[in-house]
Amino acid sequence: MAELVLAAVTPHNPLLWRAMTDPVPDDLRPIAANFARIREAVASHEVDVLVVIGTDHLRQFFYDNSPAFAIGKADAYHGTWENEVRTFGMEYAEVVGHRELADRIAGRSVQPDAIDFSVSLEWRLDHAFVIPLQYVRPELDLPVVPIHANASMPPVPSVRRFVALGEHLRRAIEDWDSDARVGILTSGHMANDVGGPRTFAGSPDPEFDALAAGWMRDGDLDGAIRVCSDVDRLTAAGSMTSQFLNAVAALAAMGGRAADFVDVPESRFSTSPFFLWSTR
Amino acid sequence: MSAYMVDKFIRAVELGDATVAEYVADPPAFVERWLAGGGTPVRPTDDRFLTEAERAAFAARDFGALYALGAHPYLLWHFTEAVYEHEYTEGSGWRELVERYRAAVAPQGLVDYIP
Repeated sequence: MAELVLAAVTPHNPLLWRAMTDPVPDDLRPIAANFARIREAVASHEVDVLVVIGTDHLRQFFYDNSPAFAIGKADAYHGTWENEVRTFGMEYAEVVGHRELADRIAGRSVQPDAIDFSVSLEWRLDHAFVIPLQYVRPELDLPVVPIHANASMPPVPSVRRFVALGEHLRRAIEDWDSDARVGILTSGHMANDVGGPRTFAGSPDPEFDALAAGWMRDGDLDGAIRVCSDVDRLTAAGSMTSQFLNAVAALAAMGGRAADFVDVPESRFSTSPFFLWSTR
Repeated sequence: MSAYMVDKFIRAVELGDATVAEYVADPPAFVERWLAGGGTPVRPTDDRFLTEAERAAFAARDFGALYALGAHPYLLWHFTEAVYEHEYTEGSGWRELVERYRAAVAPQGLVDYIP
C-alpha cells in the first residue's frame, strides 16, 4: 500500500520570488533556510508524488463557478499566469499530473463518503501551487495532484471540512494499492491582509499567529477547530487569513500529531508559516 | 450593488498585460468597450453591467471608491498595482502607492465584499 511519508506547510508569498535572491537579505534568511529544510526532507523521504493543497487566487476559479474543493486530474498543468509574471517576476512552469492518485482521492465514478469534490481536467496553477513547488522541488520533476481549497471567495468551507479533507487524504493514500511514497505539500498564510486596511504593514494579527503556531507545535487540532470555527475571528485577522485553513488540513492528515518542525519567522512580510511532519 | 461585476471587470483588466495597457491608455473608453462586449448563446454566459457609481470609479481608477463598492480586497490591490505601475516605477515608488492605497481604504475599515 502507498504510504503518506511527509506533510509540509510553507508560505506561497509570491513577493519572495524577487526579494529572496542571492545574496539573501538578512530578514529573509530564516525563510530561505526553512524552504531548504523542507526541500531536503522531500528528497530524503524519497517522495514519489506530491498532493499539493493550495488556494487559487480568483484566477482559474471565480465567482461564476467557485468549487469548495477541486481535485486536479489532468495529465499536466501549466504554471502561473501573465499577471503573476508581470507583478511578481515569476517564471512559467509545466508540472506533470498523477491521474491515478487523483482518482483515488476524488472517486472516479462516485464521490467519497466523507467529502464532496469538484474535479478539474484543465487548470492553470497560480502562485499558491507554483511558488511552494519551485522552492521545495526546483526540478519540478515529481507528479502532483493539485487540490484547490477555496479560502479566497466566501463562502469558504468550514474548518471541519478542511479536517475532513486531511483525514480523507490519509485514508485515500493508505488504501491505494501502490508502492508510492506520497507527500502532502500545503501552502497558506498566517494572519494576512492583502488589499485590506492593514495591507503590507507586517502581521495584522500577531495574536492569531501565536495561537496558530501553537496548534501545530502542540498537535492541538481541537484548538484549531475551536478558534477557526469562528469566521469573524478569521476575518478580523485579515482578508486572506482563511488560507491558514490549508495548514489545518495538513495537521488533520497527520492525525493531529504535533509537527516535527515549527517556525514562523517574521520579516518585511507578514509572518511566514513553516510546519513539517516527517517519518524519517 | 453588483460587487460581482466589479470583481469581474477587475479581472478582465488585471489578468493580461494587453488589457492593462488598453485600460490605462483610456479608462473611460475601456469601460465602455468592455460593457459593449459579452457572451453569445454558444459560449458560457458572459453578462456585463456596471452601475453609474462603478463606471465612474473605474473611469477614474479610484481604488478608494472601488473598495467602498465592495471590490474583493485581493483583486483590488493587484488591480491598483497594475494600473498605476507605470507611474510608480517612473516616479513615486511602490511603497508610496501602498501608503496611498492604505490611506484610502483604512478609514473605511472592513467593508462587506461578499457579492
